[in-house]
Amino acid sequence: MIKNVLLVDDDTEMLHALKEGFKKYQESFAILLAEDGLQALKSLKQNIISLVVTDLKMPNMDGFELLAHIMEHYPDIPVIIITGYSTPEMEQLAHKGGAVGYIAKPFLIENLARQILTTLRKESEGGTLHNVSSGMFLQLIEMEQKTCTIRLEEKPGGKKGILFFRDGELLDARVNNLQGESAAHEIFSWDAVNLSIQNGCALKENKIQSDLQPLILEAMRRKDEEAPEEVPESVMEQIESGGVEPADRLKRLKQRIEEEIGPQCGLEDLYQDEFWDSRVVQLSKAGDFFQLGNFTLGYIDKGDTNDYILIPGQKTTVITVDPKCPRDKILRVISE
Amino acid sequence: MRELFTDILHTEGVSGMMLFSLKGDLIFKEFKSPVNEDPEQQDWSSFIESLEGMRETDLVFEKGRIYIRKTEIGYLVILMALFVPIAMIRLNCDILLPALKQSKSGKKLGRFFKKKAR
Repeated sequence: MIKNVLLVDDDTEMLHALKEGFKKYQESFAILLAEDGLQALKSLKQNIISLVVTDLKMPNMDGFELLAHIMEHYPDIPVIIITGYSTPEMEQLAHKGGAVGYIAKPFLIENLARQILTTLRKESEGGTLHNVSSGMFLQLIEMEQKTCTIRLEEKPGGKKGILFFRDGELLDARVNNLQGESAAHEIFSWDAVNLSIQNGCALKENKIQSDLQPLILEAMRRKDEEAPEEVPESVMEQIESGGVEPADRLKRLKQRIEEEIGPQCGLEDLYQDEFWDSRVVQLSKAGDFFQLGNFTLGYIDKGDTNDYILIPGQKTTVITVDPKCPRDKILRVISE
Repeated sequence: MRELFTDILHTEGVSGMMLFSLKGDLIFKEFKSPVNEDPEQQDWSSFIESLEGMRETDLVFEKGRIYIRKTEIGYLVILMALFVPIAMIRLNCDILLPALKQSKSGKKLGRFFKKKAR
């Protein structure tokens, strides 16, 4: 995903020299130009900017004012300061104001490029996905109660948007000059996107009051075509429990899962079953080969009406769960 | 075709991946750091047999995890650390499956998957 870097400097020769110099990085980031802070604000409203590089001394609105504005309204956007009047105090002020980088003029374009690339890399530290269908994208939103910043690019249109999540709650969205719920509607209506995930969310204020579900439904309503329906899964033969009575340990485990996750844990049954023993031995050999230590837990999706969680032991403990269960949470509870 | 796996390999905590045929032949392997033994020297047939009927398998060990996904052409085995964005990896596999299906209809897998000696 090509990221937008906004260069702000009243020295137009400098701006164009930088733009020219950054041409070799055009597969990593695109350059937008602004000649002062006010022009930069306009660009920030109209575009999804990933990084701002700004001079300090400028007419109309200087670099410090711009930095303060960005920290207040776009705290997710990192700022690198470049200045021809560098003093230690100024550098300290810039960092105090929230700048992630500070470079004194004159500098090598490569040094600035390196700093830009390093900063931009953080945008996708949580992973990237390409050509995600809307169905998958919704899964992504529901998957984990994550605190993250998701940057998206619509395919094939190339529109860019950004979503802010804190503990799974959507705080805000931005796309073009839209913000909040209207931006969320727009983003959720995109059929396919490329996206990158940044761990953490710089926003603190919640600008979207609605739950995610109504937003998605509204976006769906606005969409012409419906998301493709999932093909029903084939139901394979159920595995019999073997009639082994759960021991106290199993009961306690079941109780713990139900207590910690609640009724949505999707736990169906819990029993011991020798049927799985030989498979568990084979699966644990893969861990031996890669020196991963003992096999502690396995989650199996066979396409049945239930999925299986295996806990190795003298007899394999089997927990059958609803395939829609919060599997990662359950695995975490059992691992603890 | 290695680009198919790039997103997964670049995911934080993923240390490598292998693709096995349904019979247990190693078709592709890529590790971020060298592994102690060469997986090509290992007989994986019993391991692959034990995956019979499994669509998706997430194995947790003391020091890492192995995520296995059945594909049209075999089993994709992803090695990773204990704490990884597993949902991301699952989604990336969802994306990968149709592409692997297409590669099945190609002439030869060797055209896409170059075995890399390490």
